[in-house]
Order: sequence, then structure tokens, then C-alpha cells
Amino acid sequence: MRRRIVAFLMGAGLVLIYMSFSPAQSSAEDIVFEHPAIPAQDGGDGDDINVTGDNSYCLLCHSRENFVLELEGGGQLDLHVSPDALANSVHYELGCVDCHGEDAFPHVGEPPTDARLYSIATTTICTTCHEEQGESLVDGVHARGLANGNLRAAVCTDCHGAHDVQEIEDEPQLAAQVCGTCHTTVFAEYEQSVHGQALLVNNDTNAPTCIDCHGVHGINTPTTAQARNRSPELCAKCHADEDLMEEYGITTNVFNSYLSDFHGTTVAMFEQADSNVATNKAVCYDCHGVHNITPADDSKSQVAKENLLTTCQQCHPNATTDFPDAWVGHFEPTAEDNPLIFGVNWFYRLLIPTVLGGFAVLVASDIFSKGRRARSGQSHAHTDEGGDNGDE
Amino acid sequence: MVTNKKAYTRFSASDRMEHFVLIISFTMLGVTGLPQRYGEFELAKQLIDLLGGIESVRVMHRFFAVMLMAVSIYHGGAVSYKLFVRRVRLSMIPSLTDLRHAWQYFLYNLGLRKEHPKMPRFNFGEKAEYLAVVWGTILMVITGFMLWNPVVTARYISGEVIPAARAAHSAEAFLAIAAIVIWHMYNVHIKRFNRAIFTGKISHEAMEEEHALELEDIEQGRVYQPPPVEVMLKRQQVFTVYAAMMTAILAGGLVYFVSLEDTAIETVPRQSFEQINDIDVTKGNATLGEIVWLEQNCHSCHGETGEGVYPVLPLAQTTSDPQAFAIAIRRGPADMPGYPVNQISDEEIAHLYVWLQSLD
Repeated sequence: MRRRIVAFLMGAGLVLIYMSFSPAQSSAEDIVFEHPAIPAQDGGDGDDINVTGDNSYCLLCHSRENFVLELEGGGQLDLHVSPDALANSVHYELGCVDCHGEDAFPHVGEPPTDARLYSIATTTICTTCHEEQGESLVDGVHARGLANGNLRAAVCTDCHGAHDVQEIEDEPQLAAQVCGTCHTTVFAEYEQSVHGQALLVNNDTNAPTCIDCHGVHGINTPTTAQARNRSPELCAKCHADEDLMEEYGITTNVFNSYLSDFHGTTVAMFEQADSNVATNKAVCYDCHGVHNITPADDSKSQVAKENLLTTCQQCHPNATTDFPDAWVGHFEPTAEDNPLIFGVNWFYRLLIPTVLGGFAVLVASDIFSKGRRARSGQSHAHTDEGGDNGDE
Repeated sequence: MVTNKKAYTRFSASDRMEHFVLIISFTMLGVTGLPQRYGEFELAKQLIDLLGGIESVRVMHRFFAVMLMAVSIYHGGAVSYKLFVRRVRLSMIPSLTDLRHAWQYFLYNLGLRKEHPKMPRFNFGEKAEYLAVVWGTILMVITGFMLWNPVVTARYISGEVIPAARAAHSAEAFLAIAAIVIWHMYNVHIKRFNRAIFTGKISHEAMEEEHALELEDIEQGRVYQPPPVEVMLKRQQVFTVYAAMMTAILAGGLVYFVSLEDTAIETVPRQSFEQINDIDVTKGNATLGEIVWLEQNCHSCHGETGEGVYPVLPLAQTTSDPQAFAIAIRRGPADMPGYPVNQISDEEIAHLYVWLQSLD
């Protein structure tokens, strides 16, 4: 903090010094058109100019409020940079030219024609240093949206800000709000969900925020077959974590019991065989909801007893009142709740060993008998195989 | 040691054909069924891969189930013929004598008894297997029906029988396959390679050991005597009518079984949670439509003026009718999410539609 203040004071001090050299500081309008005094440089070596975060030269103009560029393609580009925001940003040690390149006034480059295109172009500036993020970005939905011509797809500065970029702290609430600025409808749902309420109202940071499920820079399209098939594992990341779930009194058996039931077995097999094959067998979110997920015991939940039939009918449109009973829930069958399944399981637990055991004992006795007779040389049990060719 | 080369007829061509179909259907049901039950094992995964994926495995399983059911219907006819036309002795019915034979065989093997039990045409081991096949097939067909047609089953019985049917189908399959491996394999392939089911003939020696009672009967001339030809003909006539009726009924049942529903093999396309209502475009308002367009973020993919951004569909002056338009919004085609009523109302869809139509 102290460093920031020092840097800021230094910057501000330098601004004052340069301004005192400036011949045309009396009128703000004049500055736009007149060449400001070029500060003395050590040797003209670009590296030296801003290594100390000396942005005062640029801020001579760019610190002015309402400093905008009327763009050729219509609209305006805000040229104002708040020195305060700059000094308080995580990049306070960087100079303007580190990102924007060395370009003294009058600027030589062509002015941007479109504000949005300009923001998009800044991506390459960020990824020069943030290589890793740049690489994962390429696979993400936003980058692909851009590549497909959707100029509204988020770029670095849309989420992180530009001159006021802050250090990423572990602030899942903020992350959700950042995504929510564009994804308004999803955010509105999420806000009301069990996860959203836990995070945004109760500040429970265990609750998942957008990026916990969707990822950060390399966000995968959530509507692909692969994403669908793999989604149960995503939920399991928390819901199969015993220590975590214990805090909330939620059973971790949900994942295993899902896998051993109709839908789960199939989805697991799809995932194994070819994760890109589309399956419309139910995954967690088909029954529980996605962004609008509510606790299973909430009467509003899609899996609440009174809503379950409607939920089943999404995929089984002809299902009738009794159909949801085919789903055991995420429970082990018990004598009280599922007497029929429980009974069947017990029946076979007794029948299988009895039948197979009986057969095995008889087979073993026969092998024993053959061995004994062979040793004693009084073979009654013929092993001659030619006999039944029957040549009549 | 006397080697008697005489061979005895044991199975008719019809019996052998039945067994052949049974081998194929049973084996393939096992091959396509077991990996579904033990999907978590590597071998199961590879097998499913080899057979073209889980959907294809499920279709194959059903195909061979139909084969098994068809051969079972045929078997019912063949047994009926023996029973009503030829009127042979029911040599396959288990009795207490069979339990005694099993016990005597066990004692003999342990050396606690000198004589091997003298057994009839079908001995205790064969009767046990036949019983298992009949019981197993009936159980697998009933539980298989429930798994194949869960929606109909839940409508007429209860939903709870479906997971119970699954448990039974799976456990019975294990029992049947294990029994075949332990008992059938040992008795007809390992102990003595008994080719009777393929050639129809059995050796004198095998008869002595396994069917001594039947051999005695044959040697003493106590064999089946067919009735006079005219009696047979009369019975055959009646049987033909009966068999035709039964076959028609059972084949009809089989078709019903197979064609009732396909829930478990491919579920229908996912449907929107809400009912999709009729859209009344006469109440649509273009100005409001543009607001909805921007509010709902439609423009981020479909463009500010509905021009569409490749590969997203342009929607200005959409050619789809209002209902198709509403269905697309509610269900969300391709990568587009569906928008339920609580996100976009029916009126708002009408506004959108009218606005899009008003664009040039």
C-alpha cells in the first residue's frame, strides 16, 4: 500500500513539475491541439521512459475528465484515465507505454475506428505478459465467440477492467457479479438458487460461483454432449467430498447411487465409450435444475415429491402418477421404503449361493471320483470320446 | 471292457434346432447384457466399444431377447405336440426320485456307495437345467418387459416394480450364466464331450452311465408306440388349429412387447418444462419487441438488428411461423439455451416476433 502511495505521490509530483514547464496549461482545450513539452529523456531509450511507472507525460492529457475521441465509425472512445485508478491498480508499477507502446504526442498511429474493436485488440497486450491465461483463453467460449464474429464476447478488459485492474483475490461473490454483468438472466436465476443464496447472502465461500463449474479463461461450451456427459463429475467434485458435505449434512452417496441407477449407468457408459456421443439420459441438472437449483427438500425443487412427475415428464412425456416410484432416489433400498427391491435382493442373495454351491459340490465330487478311480486303476468312468459318434 | 458301438437317438432335428437358437440367443444376451451390468470394469468397456457403443449393445440385447422369446414360443408348441399329439411320457417333470439320484450320485462319487444311480431319460442334472431355463426365461421375459416398457408398467402396476425388475433381471442373469459355466459346461463338455445335441445320437456307454433306466427300457422293448395313423392324423388336425391360434396370440404378444414403447432405448427429445402456449401475434408490439430483444441479450448472438452473426441464425423477418418461433425460444435449438416462461412471457415472444418482422 505504501508503495502505491509513494508511486502515486511521485507521479502526481512529476505531473505538477511537467505542468509547470508547459506553456499552454492555462486552457484545457488548448492542450488537445498543442504539443505538450516533451520531457527530458536520458538517452531516448524507450525502456528507460516508464520503468519507474512515470506516466506523468501521458497523463498530462489523459487525466482530463470528459476526454473522448469521436470515432470515424461513430461513437466515442473514452481517452480519460484516472490517475487514482491507475495508481491503485495492480499494475501501478507499469508505465503507459508498457502496454500501449511508446507513442509520444502527436500520436502517429491511425486512431481506432471502433471502441469495441479497440477493446478487443487490447487482448494481445494483456497476453504478452499473461501468456498462460492467453493460451487457455483460446479454447474458451468467449474467444470462440469473437472468432465467429460475435464482437460482444467478453475480452480481458470486460471482466478485469483496464486501467483499474485489481489483483485477483479469492472473492467468489465478485466473480459471480462480474459474469452477471453480461449474463443477466443466468445470474438472476443463480442469485435465487441454493448456491447463489449461500454465496451471495450467507457469504459461504464453499458454495460454487460461476467459475467453479464453468472454468475461468478456457470456459467450455456447456451445451456440448461432452459437457453434458461429464457434468455429473463436476457436481461430484463437491457432492462426493465427504468432509465438505458433512458440514451441510448432505450425503455423499448421491454420486454412487446415481451411477448404479438407470440414468447414471448409461451416462457413465457414454462417457467411457465416446464422450462426444450425445445422450439425453438424465444427468444431475436435468432433475435438479442448473442455475436455479434448489435444495431437494424445498417444495419448489424440481425433485420435490409434488413436482417429480413433471420433472420425469420432461423426458418421459407419457409418464403417469406411479412412474416416479421407479426412481429409488439416491437411497439404498431398505425393507421399509423399498420392500420389493429389498426382497428381490435377498431372494437372490440366498438362491445364487444355494444353486451354484450345490452344482459346484456335485461337480467337485465327480472330479474327485474320477481322480480316485484313475489312481486305483479300476476305471468305471470312461472318458472315451469316440463312443457317441454313432456310426449306424 | 466291452465296447458297445451302438448309438441311440436322443434328440430330433427340431430339438437340435431349438438348442442351436438357444445357444446363440443365450450367449449373445450374456455378451450384450453382462457389460451393461458390470459397466465399471475395463473389459466391459472394451466389449461395449467393440460392439459399437452402448446404444448399439442395447439394440442387440433386445434383438437376441426377441430371438429367445421366439424360440420359447416354438418350444411351447413342440412340447404341446409331444403332449397332445404323440402323447409321450412327460420325462422332464422333476420328482423326489431325482433328489434321491442326486444324493446317490454324490455318495457314489465320494466312494460311499458302490452303485452309480440308474437314471431315466432325463436325469436329475438335466431336469435341474431344464427347470432353470424355463424359470429363468419366464422371469427374464417378465422383468425384461418391465425394463423395456417402464412407462406402461408404471401405469398398470406400480413404479416400484421397475427397479425391482432390474435387480431380478440382473441377478437372474448372473445365476443363469454361472450355472451354465459350472454345471452345463462340466457335464456335457468336460466330463464327457456329449455331442448328442448336435448329432442327435448318444453312445451306449453314455447311456449306461447317465440314462441306465432308459437303456433298460429300450433293451427290454418298453419303448414309445405311436398310435394308429388315423388317430394321429385326427390329433394333428386339432393340434394344427390350436397351434395356429396359440402362435398368433403369442406372436401378437411378442410384437406388442417389442413395439409398445422405446423409453429405455432412446428417450424422446427433451421437452421444455412448461407447456408451449399459442402465441397471439396480433397483440405484439414492435417497440416493446426491441426492448425485449436487448434485455434478454438476444442481440449478443443474433445481432442488434437481428442480422445474425455467423454461425448464428439471422432472425430479421424470420420465415418461421409464430408457433415454431416460440418453440425455438422455449426449447433452445443447437447451442442456444431454452427460455422458459418465467424468463420470456408469451406476450414478450409476440413482441419479439412482431419487431423482427418489422425490420428490413
